[in-house]
Amino acid sequence: MNEQASSNLTHAGRHLLSRRNFFGQTGSALSAAALTQLLSQQQLLASEDALKIRINPSNPHAPRQPHAVAKGKNVLVVFCAGACSQLETWDYKPELIKQDGKPLPGGPSVTFQGPAGNLARPQYRFRPRGECGKMVSDMVPHLGELVDDFAFVHTLTSKSNTHGPAENFLSTGFVQDGFPSIGAWLTYALGTENQELPAFVAIPDPRGVPQASVNNWGPGFLPAVFQGTPFSSSQPIQNLLPPASVPQNADVAARDLLRLINGEHLKQNPADSDLAARIASYELAAKMQLSVPEISDLSTEPDHVLKMYGADDTKDELKAGFARNCILGRRLIEKGVRFVQLFNGAYASGGRLNWDGHQKLREQYDGHGRIMDQPTAALIRDMKQRGLLEDTLVVWCTEFGRMPMFQKGAQGRDHNPNGFTAVLTGAGVKRGVSYGTTDELGFKAVENVSSVHDLNATILHLLGLDHQRLTFRHNGIDRRLTDVHGQVIREILA
Amino acid sequence: MRSLLPHILSALACVILPITAEADEIDFEKQVRPLFIARCGECHGPKDQQSGLRLDARHAALKGGDSGVAIVPGNSGKSELLRRVTSSDKDERMPPEGDALSKPEVDLLTRWIDRGAAWPETEYDRLAKIDPRLEHWAFQPLRKAAHGRQEANGNKTIDEFIERKLRENDLTFSAEADRRTLIRRLWFDMLGLPPAIEEVKQFESANDSKAWEHLVEEALKSLRYGERWAQHWLDVIRYADTHGFEVNTPRENAWPYRDYVIRSFNEDKPYDHFIVEQLAGDALQADDATGFLVAAAVLLPGQIGKDEESKRLARQDALDEMIQGTSATLLGLTIGCARCHDHKFDPITQRDYYGMQAFFAGVYYGDRPIKSADGEAHLAEVAALAIRIGELERQLHLRSPIDPQRNDEYIDPITAKFVRFTILETIDDNKHQPCLDELEIYARGNPSQNIGLASTGAKTTSSGNYSETGKHQLRHVNDGRYGNERSWISNTLGGGWVQIELHEPSKIDHLVWGRDRNGKFNDRLPVRYKIEVSLDGQQWRLVAGHTNRIPIGTPPEKIRELLQDQPPIAGTDAPSLLAKLERLKGEKQQLTSPRLVYGGTFREPEATYVLRRGDPEQRVGEIGPKVPALFNVPLLDATLAEQERRLALARWIASPDNPLTARVMVNRIWMYHFGQGLVTTPSDFGLNGVRPSHPKLLDWLAGEFIRSGWSIKHIHRLVLTSRTYRQSHRVDPVSATIDRDNQLLWRFASRRMEGEAIRDSMLAVSGELNLKMGGPGFDFFKSRGGLSGFPPVDQFGPEQMRRMIYSHKIRMERVPVFGAFDCPDAGQATPFRSQSTTAIQALNLFNSKFVAERAEKFADRIATIAAEDMNLQVTTAFELAIGRAPIEVERRASLQVVKQHGLGTLCRVLFNSSEFLFIP
Repeated sequence: MNEQASSNLTHAGRHLLSRRNFFGQTGSALSAAALTQLLSQQQLLASEDALKIRINPSNPHAPRQPHAVAKGKNVLVVFCAGACSQLETWDYKPELIKQDGKPLPGGPSVTFQGPAGNLARPQYRFRPRGECGKMVSDMVPHLGELVDDFAFVHTLTSKSNTHGPAENFLSTGFVQDGFPSIGAWLTYALGTENQELPAFVAIPDPRGVPQASVNNWGPGFLPAVFQGTPFSSSQPIQNLLPPASVPQNADVAARDLLRLINGEHLKQNPADSDLAARIASYELAAKMQLSVPEISDLSTEPDHVLKMYGADDTKDELKAGFARNCILGRRLIEKGVRFVQLFNGAYASGGRLNWDGHQKLREQYDGHGRIMDQPTAALIRDMKQRGLLEDTLVVWCTEFGRMPMFQKGAQGRDHNPNGFTAVLTGAGVKRGVSYGTTDELGFKAVENVSSVHDLNATILHLLGLDHQRLTFRHNGIDRRLTDVHGQVIREILA
Repeated sequence: MRSLLPHILSALACVILPITAEADEIDFEKQVRPLFIARCGECHGPKDQQSGLRLDARHAALKGGDSGVAIVPGNSGKSELLRRVTSSDKDERMPPEGDALSKPEVDLLTRWIDRGAAWPETEYDRLAKIDPRLEHWAFQPLRKAAHGRQEANGNKTIDEFIERKLRENDLTFSAEADRRTLIRRLWFDMLGLPPAIEEVKQFESANDSKAWEHLVEEALKSLRYGERWAQHWLDVIRYADTHGFEVNTPRENAWPYRDYVIRSFNEDKPYDHFIVEQLAGDALQADDATGFLVAAAVLLPGQIGKDEESKRLARQDALDEMIQGTSATLLGLTIGCARCHDHKFDPITQRDYYGMQAFFAGVYYGDRPIKSADGEAHLAEVAALAIRIGELERQLHLRSPIDPQRNDEYIDPITAKFVRFTILETIDDNKHQPCLDELEIYARGNPSQNIGLASTGAKTTSSGNYSETGKHQLRHVNDGRYGNERSWISNTLGGGWVQIELHEPSKIDHLVWGRDRNGKFNDRLPVRYKIEVSLDGQQWRLVAGHTNRIPIGTPPEKIRELLQDQPPIAGTDAPSLLAKLERLKGEKQQLTSPRLVYGGTFREPEATYVLRRGDPEQRVGEIGPKVPALFNVPLLDATLAEQERRLALARWIASPDNPLTARVMVNRIWMYHFGQGLVTTPSDFGLNGVRPSHPKLLDWLAGEFIRSGWSIKHIHRLVLTSRTYRQSHRVDPVSATIDRDNQLLWRFASRRMEGEAIRDSMLAVSGELNLKMGGPGFDFFKSRGGLSGFPPVDQFGPEQMRRMIYSHKIRMERVPVFGAFDCPDAGQATPFRSQSTTAIQALNLFNSKFVAERAEKFADRIATIAAEDMNLQVTTAFELAIGRAPIEVERRASLQVVKQHGLGTLCRVLFNSSEFLFIP
């Protein structure tokens, strides 16, 4: 054992060595090697130090440095709730067209929801797009125009085939309830640039909240200050403004009196930083009362922008609503909000309100595609034009994929966690690449198999964070977003 | 380091092994051990001991594994080890993966064993025997009380421990806090509510030298104490009233467990009993306690995939929550970490994990009926109610019409052996034979036991029967089963009689009969009938009949009118008599209908397997119930019945000899008092946890806990009466430079209250707090789970004025306004609440409708105390909200605000003030 090895010992390991005076007694190189193994297998060798994060209670969102050079500063996630089919969007399977109507040889007889039927061809036509010629379906023609800027990961896998746990898994790295969401982790690590807006905003779909709801933007066991704040272009922050019954001048007088009373109290306890933090929180709240309505007010957006997003679509209110949320998302990123989570699709509803196409996939996806495609494409295009993609990472994702078969007696696909697609673009992302492949029918990932942990590790990496070192001690365990897994997908990095 | 190991291993393989084939002398250390490490070590080494076998260390290798001795010194032919490494059966051959051992390697082992398997013990073997991790402080028995003597005033001892450490660090206790601070601290800490201003003033002026001790006793006696401290426990076990995950549907019967916890704290239930009841309450008349086992979120059957793999995984997940909940809560151990691999830090193996799982192998999530805990008292209560109901019923001149489902006949108590029910006319003008599905007979004082049942020995006869087989037989009239399928029909159109002869003469006072209790049939209904009783079967006495009943078919409003208009009865008017009757019947109904609790439901245990990497599809070997090996407890009998398993586990955990149980609990109690535990990782006492700041104090407290009969209130008393607790919260700048985080307790650290305490205090101050205890929770949201989201309630009635612990707790969904104050979401355990300060909290308190309304109610309350005098109003507002009068500058500014904007504005400000929100 050399010095380097010995310096890698934990306290317990060193204690053990010195107490037993091991080397002095045996002098045998072999035994020393055996001891090294003993120690290492008993995990007495220290792992790399965790990233130390110090939170100032008076300013918990103060910007903090990542521990490596970051490619991006902010993240915008488009989260398609309900499991958007890879086979109808990004993962082109010509063989599936040929095998249409035939059984999947060796395939499962029963899948999540019940008996499996025969293979079913992609429900949309695919065409080559952009200069790279990536095959993308007609369900997302606007997004298809942007493929030269995209990096596709086709081989994501999930630990659950149930929506709620799988959404938990995507957003928190764990299938169980109660773990911190990725936005909470990021704002915990990095704080935020804009102190007058929430650091982490979750924008629910106009149709409702996603299946795992608040879990997707919850703080888990991180301090509550890192929870995402949900609001959208149509739904304001709760309690942002005083009740209508309180006149404006009474509100100002109340604020002044509170400042006075709390100030007197602080004078009595001048060294108590918690009291100072509480006073600061009221000052920040007052600022948010101004800044949040301002940012949510889209009336200042010019007509051509509204039109580009489809926010002016009077015939399709849902599309217009989602488009307005997309504009809000861009405005938040513009103002330096660290993490924006934009939901497309709501809760379980037989595929009516989200991407859960079990029974009538084509019919429902026609509507869902229309709502999602143009606004999302406009959002990315708009951000690019404004230079926001230089330091903003955009991720399109969904909790799992769908089966190449239709369900027995149905015109839709069952849950499939074994190979689905995410799309990345923006800061630090290689353009026009596809990573990993599923088998020729799109049943499961076969080459460069990756996981949701890998996706999350990659997102953290692009923000300058090592997913293995961003930890928080809870219940005796240094918890991570990526549990004990995760590898950065380097092939899609610029 | 990670890169070093393969080098060592390959060096072992290349350099050393070739020698073995040639040499005649065997050097164990150079030849044999490296072989074991290199070729067997992965599965039978320090990290993993599959099938209980470890080959790299002397004591373990010579002992053998689960299936017996592996090495028989001097006899390679009888050594299982050699048989396995040379086996040609693929399933048997070791190592299972990679190449088989080479011939020289096999020869080496053969010769080594045949020559006596010489294994000189080295430091490596000695180290392997004494896993250094077993020396971890928390696994050692409690230190004997350092102070030897036990004082009646144990509080002195706490102070001695604390003061010694302070002195060592050039620190001293802070001065005692003023009395207003002390009583407010005590009330918030123990009850989660502010003291009334009168209580503050009384304590401030008390001369009694024991005034504080009396106050402590008062707090300990308050029922508010259980409501406050139960919440701490519910945090740790992640209690909620919904199932969690995506549909998050209501768990309607979770609350009896919540009430059980509140009751247990209030009763100062010995903590060891508390543990045993929660793990095996079904064996101890405490079914409601088993809610502990199933407190976590769980996937409902509809959310689990239809394929077998999904089902197995879901079952493993459900079991995992039980293991985690039990081990982290009660033992402060993160055994859950060993599900997929051996614990990274603690000496807990995967086998230990699955050994723990076997204790729960028969436990399922579901509703179970609560057997009454106070059996006899309960029965007596029901009996007393029945007697009173009978007395009132018999006073009625007129009774409601015959009901096809159920008719109660309350009669003057009479001793009888025979009861005869005679039908004189049926509903259909006697076109059919009459039908009764059951005739029940009750003796005075025993309303729960139908003595007419055939199973009690009662015999039936009749005027004649419609049939001797099928649905309508004579024996069905007293078989205890209801409905047309189990009924009796006579063989006479419109008439007939049925008679029950009791097992022995009894003083009967109540009969029940019906046509179809299930409510499907109302034909064949007797409309004229008489009931007679007899002692000898000869002389009959009429006790009840149709004559005082309102005719069937009378419209409901007419029935009400007729009943209400009865002439006064024994001095009482009919309406109040009827109202009283209704209330009593409701009470009886509530007492007799079975209550349910979402608790454990128990079946024969399924077999438990060690699972490779935690994957339910990769079973490695079967395992029985077993506590982790580190505790060195003899193996339990693998054939133990389901309940016995849990009882065995519970008794081991709740034993005074368990090194963790008492320490973990006293540390939790300490933490809730001081905001910080002696061990700051309250659910992790393992190697990765933080060492105690005051190890001797922790052990002394744990010892006190056990000696007091596991009395939680005893520990409270010790803490609360200590000088340590009564210190001022002032931050002394010099001390702060030495011990910034106050780990050594040179002051009492003031802290922001939890959301629950803020809300409850607000209601107490506004005068609206509803102190109704127990029962189903009130709603913070307009819908209870499902898919319609959780829109917050915006109209607040008396139910919403109850303490927050009585809310219907939605998992993961934060309660409006107050949830933002770090209230746990019941997803994962919350052994320690973070204390964040956020703008959202400020917005919620400053702007929400709830707080605005409370402020107005508070203003109303002040106005009733100090009607016209604005100055007095301001004083009252401050006193009620924060227990003191305003200082001059506050008074002036407040008067200004009250003048211009009304008292409500001042109240809103006070509810937002730091002083209102902090435990001083």
